[in-house]
Amino acid sequence: MKTQYRIIKKSIGLLLIFAFAGCDDFVQVALPDSQLASSAVFEDKGTATAALTSVYSKIRDYSILSGAPNGISHSLGLYADELTYFGVGSSPTDLYHNELISTDPELKELWSTAYNQIYAANAIIKGITESTSLATSDRDVVKGEALFVRALLHFYLVNLYGDVPYITTTDYAVTSKVSRMSVDEVYVLIKKDLNEAILLLPSIYLKPDRTRPNVYVAHALLARVNLYMGLWAEASNEASAVLNQTTLYAMAPLSTTFKKTSTGTLWQLSAESATYNTLEGGTFIFTALPPPRSALSPTLLLSFEANDIRKSSWIKTITNTTSSFSHPNKYKNKQMQGTADELSILFRIEEQYLIRAEARARQGELSSAKEDLNIIRNHAGLGNTAAVTGEEIVAAVLNERRHELFTELGHRFFDLKRTGQLTAVLSPLKAGWNATDALFPLPNTELLLNSNLLPQNPGY
Amino acid sequence: MNKNSLFKARTGCMPFSLLQLLLLFWVAISSAQSIPITGTVRDSQGVLPGVNVQLKNKSVGTFTDGSGKFQISASPDDTIVFSSIGYTSIEIIVGTQTNLNITLKLNETALDEVLVNAGYYKVKDKERTGNISKIIAKEIENQPVTNVLAAMQGRMAGVNITQTTGVPGGGFDIQIRGLNSLRATGNAPLYLIDGVPYSSESIGSFSTSSVLVGENSPLNSLNPDTISSIEVLKDADATAIYGSRGANGVILITTKKGKAGKTQYKISSSTGAGSVTRFMDLMKTEQYVAMRKQGYSNDGIAPFPANAYDVNGTWDVNRYTDWQKVLTGGTAKYNTINAMVSGGSAQTQFLFSANILNQTTVFPGDFKYKKLNSHLSVNHASLDQKFKISFTGGYTIQYNNLPYLDLTSESRLLSPNAPALYDADGNLNWENNTFNNPLRHLKGDFDAMTHDFIANSVLSYQIMPSLEVTTSFGFSNTRHQESTATPYTVNNPSLGLGSASSLLSLNNVNRQNWIVEPQLNWNYTFEKLAVSVLLGTTVQTQNGDQVVYKGSGFTSPSMIHNIGAAAKVSVYQNDKTAYNYQAFFSRINLNWDGIYILNFTGRRDGSSRFGPGKQFATFSAVGGALIFSAMPLLKTQSLLSFGKLRMSYGTTGSDQIGDYQFLDTYNNTGVAYDGTIGLEPTRLFNPDFGWETNKKLEAGLELGFLKDRIMLTGSWYSNRSSNQLVGIPLPMTTGFSSLQANLDATVQNQGIEFTLHTENFKGKNFSWSTDFNISSSKNKLISFPGLEGSTYKNRYVVGESISSVKVYDYLGVNPTTGLYEFTDFNGDGNIIEIDDKKIIKDLSPQYYGGLLNHFKYKQFELDFLFQFVKQENYNILKSFPMPGTRNNQPSSITNQWESQGDLADYQAFSFNKATYKVAYSKYNQSTAGISDASYIRLKNVAIYYTIPETVLSKWTCRLSLQGQNLLTFTNFNGADPEFKTFDYLPPLKMITAGVELTF
Repeated sequence: MKTQYRIIKKSIGLLLIFAFAGCDDFVQVALPDSQLASSAVFEDKGTATAALTSVYSKIRDYSILSGAPNGISHSLGLYADELTYFGVGSSPTDLYHNELISTDPELKELWSTAYNQIYAANAIIKGITESTSLATSDRDVVKGEALFVRALLHFYLVNLYGDVPYITTTDYAVTSKVSRMSVDEVYVLIKKDLNEAILLLPSIYLKPDRTRPNVYVAHALLARVNLYMGLWAEASNEASAVLNQTTLYAMAPLSTTFKKTSTGTLWQLSAESATYNTLEGGTFIFTALPPPRSALSPTLLLSFEANDIRKSSWIKTITNTTSSFSHPNKYKNKQMQGTADELSILFRIEEQYLIRAEARARQGELSSAKEDLNIIRNHAGLGNTAAVTGEEIVAAVLNERRHELFTELGHRFFDLKRTGQLTAVLSPLKAGWNATDALFPLPNTELLLNSNLLPQNPGY
Repeated sequence: MNKNSLFKARTGCMPFSLLQLLLLFWVAISSAQSIPITGTVRDSQGVLPGVNVQLKNKSVGTFTDGSGKFQISASPDDTIVFSSIGYTSIEIIVGTQTNLNITLKLNETALDEVLVNAGYYKVKDKERTGNISKIIAKEIENQPVTNVLAAMQGRMAGVNITQTTGVPGGGFDIQIRGLNSLRATGNAPLYLIDGVPYSSESIGSFSTSSVLVGENSPLNSLNPDTISSIEVLKDADATAIYGSRGANGVILITTKKGKAGKTQYKISSSTGAGSVTRFMDLMKTEQYVAMRKQGYSNDGIAPFPANAYDVNGTWDVNRYTDWQKVLTGGTAKYNTINAMVSGGSAQTQFLFSANILNQTTVFPGDFKYKKLNSHLSVNHASLDQKFKISFTGGYTIQYNNLPYLDLTSESRLLSPNAPALYDADGNLNWENNTFNNPLRHLKGDFDAMTHDFIANSVLSYQIMPSLEVTTSFGFSNTRHQESTATPYTVNNPSLGLGSASSLLSLNNVNRQNWIVEPQLNWNYTFEKLAVSVLLGTTVQTQNGDQVVYKGSGFTSPSMIHNIGAAAKVSVYQNDKTAYNYQAFFSRINLNWDGIYILNFTGRRDGSSRFGPGKQFATFSAVGGALIFSAMPLLKTQSLLSFGKLRMSYGTTGSDQIGDYQFLDTYNNTGVAYDGTIGLEPTRLFNPDFGWETNKKLEAGLELGFLKDRIMLTGSWYSNRSSNQLVGIPLPMTTGFSSLQANLDATVQNQGIEFTLHTENFKGKNFSWSTDFNISSSKNKLISFPGLEGSTYKNRYVVGESISSVKVYDYLGVNPTTGLYEFTDFNGDGNIIEIDDKKIIKDLSPQYYGGLLNHFKYKQFELDFLFQFVKQENYNILKSFPMPGTRNNQPSSITNQWESQGDLADYQAFSFNKATYKVAYSKYNQSTAGISDASYIRLKNVAIYYTIPETVLSKWTCRLSLQGQNLLTFTNFNGADPEFKTFDYLPPLKMITAGVELTF
């Protein structure tokens, strides 16, 4: 009997060894090697920078500003009068015919990716503010850039969707219930962020390829924002802040405007690989007919002045026995082809001349406005403008913007919109155009999940 | 007894009260003088090897040898029990005998003896208190399937299985008693193969295995022919011992083991062919072209746009191709060879099997799925039968080579007048760059290689006759490598892409799992009370690592499978995950004279998937059975041969939420900027989520009549899961689409299940038996505090099923506008989702079941199984964009609106008008888009002919003809009513012929 007890005790004891060996600690696993604790990310300059630059890589690859076909360089080209669509995709077909619906998944991507990138920017701002071991200079740079990115993305959201929430926190309890703010309120916050960024950003470039924004890029965006808001004096001043940096910025010849080394570039996006060119190349270039995706619209092609070198330098025409079509040729290589000498440019100096020209003309500074305009015209091989009155000059600047900035970041669409010409210009060209098409629909799932975002934009 | 109080003593550690309980019951056994007994065991046909010869209530036992002889030491007052599977056991009191000649009789229904595997313990089917369904090898072998889940379809009450793709190597969706969790990925049962948990989490990656609908079911690695039985545990009594992982049911897969006796060889092979069960009835060219032209004219688009190649004269408007036939109408060849050798002595038995399986696809091109499997089982017992060891090991290699894209959707949508696939020279025809030839996809491919190793050893030692200590060690390893190659040549040549644009995406998964489960088993009988107590603990670790990477910039398309030839390699994901799990479990079973049975089970679980303080939880259940047929009162009559009433109640849980969800971390993006790989926030984190709990209540009645020739079972259950662990959907303004959290919502599944087994005719030459099962389950969202204010408000309705959808109420086509119209419930003049999706349609099956008949006439056997489901589902409209777009349509779309005043069935055709698109998308999400998808399907037919032994002397040869999914009766207008994954290849109809030799 005694031995039997002993045996039982021993075997149960054995069982318990297994049990106690583990207990609490066993089910607490360590942080996996593949992940990094959020708090640790912002205690090191390298990882903090990687968190920031990953936002840029997302802006490059999937966002409103991406050069991929659903980014606005292409999609707003279809939506306005720059491109004709030949493909069979449903979302681009909707854009081309101005028949958007709120359930379109590709349209939802524009909204979703923007707010995901804004979340990342907010997480960086929060993390860097709480960081204890980073040098102040490093913190300023990262925070300044994150503020700049937050402003940039909201700027495009407000222009595409009208009233939108301006998100400045990572707290989902708040951000899941946000309401839309008026366009004016959003602009106030954009300017606030940019002005704060200007205090933090360096005046030099951290990377030789100008792939990280410096303080002048923030000024350039502020100039663009003020132009859209109709604050002419401020727009002019901010543009001057950039244009005065003559040692840093100078227009490059048309043939190299979009090359990586162009001195006219303010900010361009680093490629995923040192051997890659831009996504825009793959989006626009075709080599045989019919065009597989889209081609420049006859309206745009016919509107160029006869001697405009941009038409020959930045546009390429493909011809076969029966027809001919043209594609934008600003970027000359597809992403994975050719010598890697091009990057996606988001800000370039030419735009700043045109901003200042318009802002000056609107304020009655006609001769200096014409000076700025003529700089761009002469550069494109054209003579000085014939415009005389303020109105004529403004019209001439807008016409110049159309030919300088075509298929770049939706400039054409936004110019028509901010000057109130959308319906006048587009309805004769596009059967599906309605005045309410000036705004995109909010994704319907957003309205279902957060009724504070109601009502939907009119017309959808 | 309440297990909670037993277990709550200390966090996660074993309390001592149980120990004391165990010791309390302990009574020692005295022993007496032994003498050697010898003898021979026979059945009606000759000597019987491998019969278990055991002293009752003692640990002494042996087996008969190859000539049926045995030797055992026993004292005169011992009882010797002779037992063998399939035979009625015989008990003999030794007395003065020293030589015993025993004849065993084949048992008829064998219910007394049928043991059911309940995981940690086995229980006589008759005496089980829980609800356990079982299918055995014979039923599985009958079916020409590659995945064992396919073999279970229609055969088990309460188990609803649907296939997600007809492509070989694809996945299955299984629901045991309905959906418990609001989280789509939280409803998978726990799988155990010979006791080793086998992770059912997909090993695929969205970037590489799109052809398999993102799923790559790990269960494909099992060879159905090596399985001896599958048990499905359904109620609390059966599943509570699996605690946190039992909420969605437990599937126990037991592989075959060797039997003592002469070495037996079995070789079988079968070969056959499969094809698509049904094609959709689509428009022919004339109807299609007319629709397209009307679409443009209704939109006011004239002339036809340059890219309207199908109608603007670019393509021949009279040409017709049945694309469904061309792209998915092929024949999938199927063949398999099995070899098995088994045998052994009284002490040691073994079984070894090997299998090769090949299956091609119905797509054009040379694609195939291959599976090589080997399986070994060895059992050994010491001479005194006190020490036992068993080992089971299996190794499987699967190779799957498929097109990287399922062509089914394209085959339905492609214009019927699209040009020829090949030009005059036999090259892919791009029709001057106007035709995205569907065969371009075949230039790329999906390639997967999966290695699976699974092994389990069980060591047991009988310390005393009534006390056994057992430890099982399990290990499994899955190595999976899949890739999708898309050479630049899959793109239209006018894009001008070069070889640099060729892409190779790879996904490598390595998953290792080990588990140790020491257990103590104590069985004792106090007069009429039999007590068994089980105590055990589990320690399990699962380590996973997954690398997803992409190569681009290949020098030539022929080098595309060589990642070394890529100019650039980017790693997108390199996840290392660890899942640690620990538990204590226990069972106490009290059995009074085979009449009253009580079963207590409990488990305390800890899981690393939860944050600090939330890791542990306790689950327990109690089950009871009353076998009233064994009561003296009923023993005298002969009508009712078996009668049992059972009930159970208890809790189980679920931790199916993935690893590390509670951590606030950053991950590598795998994407470079300025030459540095980026870091991104992994998720919105919530450290405070905990276990989901599931309370299960069940009552059942089991009846046998006329010596069990009629067996009827019925059960009713009501399961409630609460504290739902869900990825709460969030608006994208939060930056993410969901957040892991517990939701205070309760989901109820209530249902009934019936099974009926009848031996309709039983004669010397002819016999006929029937099995029937039917299940009905009703899912209901019981409560959801704060639903109105939550992001779920437009998805769920309290009081309705969680698989119900809200749809618009379709009224018809407005004769004036030509648009679809819907009821405007709030009368505001707008039809919008929030206000007007008021009709609720439940898409879960109302009832389902199967009818199996087995006939035997002399050497012939015939089995056939009908499966039936009563349900509603999205209909054919779901697969098609708006009529008028450049997509083919069902031929039934006629009588469309054309001009004012038309009373039409379909709205006006339109190429692209937003008003039409909006109305069409509402139409799809209205009562018109959902229709009856009930069906009766001849799921399986198997015919066998056994060549009489007189012809082949000692060899047994069996010829078979088997068919799967042969006939379908349905009113459903889509492709396959069983199928719920739209736009993918539905399950195939398969017919095979086979031969099996045993010698």
